[in-house]
Amino acid sequence: MSAEPIIRFIGVKKRFGPKVIYDDATLDVFPGESLTILGGSGTGKSVLIKMLIGLLRADAGQILAFGQDVTQMGERELLGVRKRIAMLFQSAALFDSLTVEQNIKYGLREHHWGTESQMDGRVEEVLGMVGMPGTQKLKPAQLSGGMRKRVGLARAIAIQPEVILYDEPTTGLDPVNVRRINGLIMSLQKKLGVTSIVVTHDMDSCFTVSDRIAMLYERRIAFTGTAEETQTCDIRYVREFIAGGRGTLDEDVV
Amino acid sequence: MMDGFRNLLRDLGGVSLLSVQTFRAFWRSPVEIFPLIYQLDHAGIQSWSITALTALFTGMVLALQFATGLEAYGGSMYTGKLVALGIVRELGPTLTALLVGGRVGSGIAAELGSMVVTEQVDAIRALGADPIKKLVAPRVLACTLALPLLTMLADAVGIFGGMLITMREVGVTSKFFVTQVKETLWVVDLMHGLGKSVFFGYFIGIIGCFVGLQTQGGTEGVGVSTTRAVVVTAITLLISNYILSTIFVAVYG
Repeated sequence: MSAEPIIRFIGVKKRFGPKVIYDDATLDVFPGESLTILGGSGTGKSVLIKMLIGLLRADAGQILAFGQDVTQMGERELLGVRKRIAMLFQSAALFDSLTVEQNIKYGLREHHWGTESQMDGRVEEVLGMVGMPGTQKLKPAQLSGGMRKRVGLARAIAIQPEVILYDEPTTGLDPVNVRRINGLIMSLQKKLGVTSIVVTHDMDSCFTVSDRIAMLYERRIAFTGTAEETQTCDIRYVREFIAGGRGTLDEDVV
Repeated sequence: MMDGFRNLLRDLGGVSLLSVQTFRAFWRSPVEIFPLIYQLDHAGIQSWSITALTALFTGMVLALQFATGLEAYGGSMYTGKLVALGIVRELGPTLTALLVGGRVGSGIAAELGSMVVTEQVDAIRALGADPIKKLVAPRVLACTLALPLLTMLADAVGIFGGMLITMREVGVTSKFFVTQVKETLWVVDLMHGLGKSVFFGYFIGIIGCFVGLQTQGGTEGVGVSTTRAVVVTAITLLISNYILSTIFVAVYG
């Protein structure tokens, strides 16, 4: 990775009340790569990506997106960041009261994307990309969990972001949908050249989609490396996490 | 005790901050018309039947109590005056606000609370929109507009209910009753009641939104917020009613 990082977390600290989530977290993300952030449940993986688009505020440290410090921005300046960095939420977070089409147009309208017919065209296009053509008029309640995720993804990519954040994209899905979502993450990265940051504790997804893996441990990014480096890594907690996820715990780990 | 006081101060600060942000949202861009109409329908039009029913029976029972209570002093003839003043200045605005507060305030808190716990509020922000403008502003404005209108309805229906019972209990004609009401009520009395209802509507909207947006911890949290919205709204309405009435009385008499 010779290019300049487009996103940098530098010495980030974050706590909720007495609970410290991050104490000096540092991480670089390079353009066009697919980076997975691994960590156990409740270690604050989602917090990291939510801080990147200003949904949560860091207590200290710098978060640079495209060279500008997100932590110093007001809501208005954050608009510019949110136009370039989109997010797929864990629960998809579709608006219940709106149809699939209206959901996808929501972001387009906010960013003054184009005329009504241009937006119609864009909705059709992104629904095609996630394999759900013709579902414009359905309400989220009529969709399965996997379909909601795909519509959520369509909504996220509609405004043509440069970076997509995935918050546990495969959690709670059946194996077929897990494969489908993983396939989408990879194809979007290839076709659109977007940078992906995936937060997960699903090991299979992790090794399928990632160029690089970052591991959260003890309130910081304790390890980063390629998929191969991660698999051959001899740091104990990395090995344990991977072994646990693969269902092959060593004696000494138990 | 100290914790309770601290929480009270924190909530007061939170509501004040949300109010400032809401006014700023009004200032920056006009409220979107379709969400506003939807909320007006929800808060106003769908509340008319419960408002009218409450007002009708309140007017009736008020007339019954005054007619029989004043009989001992030979004052039954004044029933119309007392019913009209009682409804227009106090019971019309206050009972309407308490009922709509329970119905609409809890609904707002539950809806926004569900949106918070399912990350929909985060999604609004992530898609580049402002939840204050999208969610809070139309609801607060709809409540503020709906309450005076509902109060006017309650006033009319309440006085009508009072008339029915006064005619039966005291034996006056409807013409006498209406004339008496017209002589009794001044614009000041109407302004007193309707003026309060504008504030009541605002409180219902802003408290419902504040409590809803504060929701934490899944579906259980939504239930907690819904209950909390009703309680906080009722207390706020009752206390502010006294304060506002004191001010109106001092200003207008």
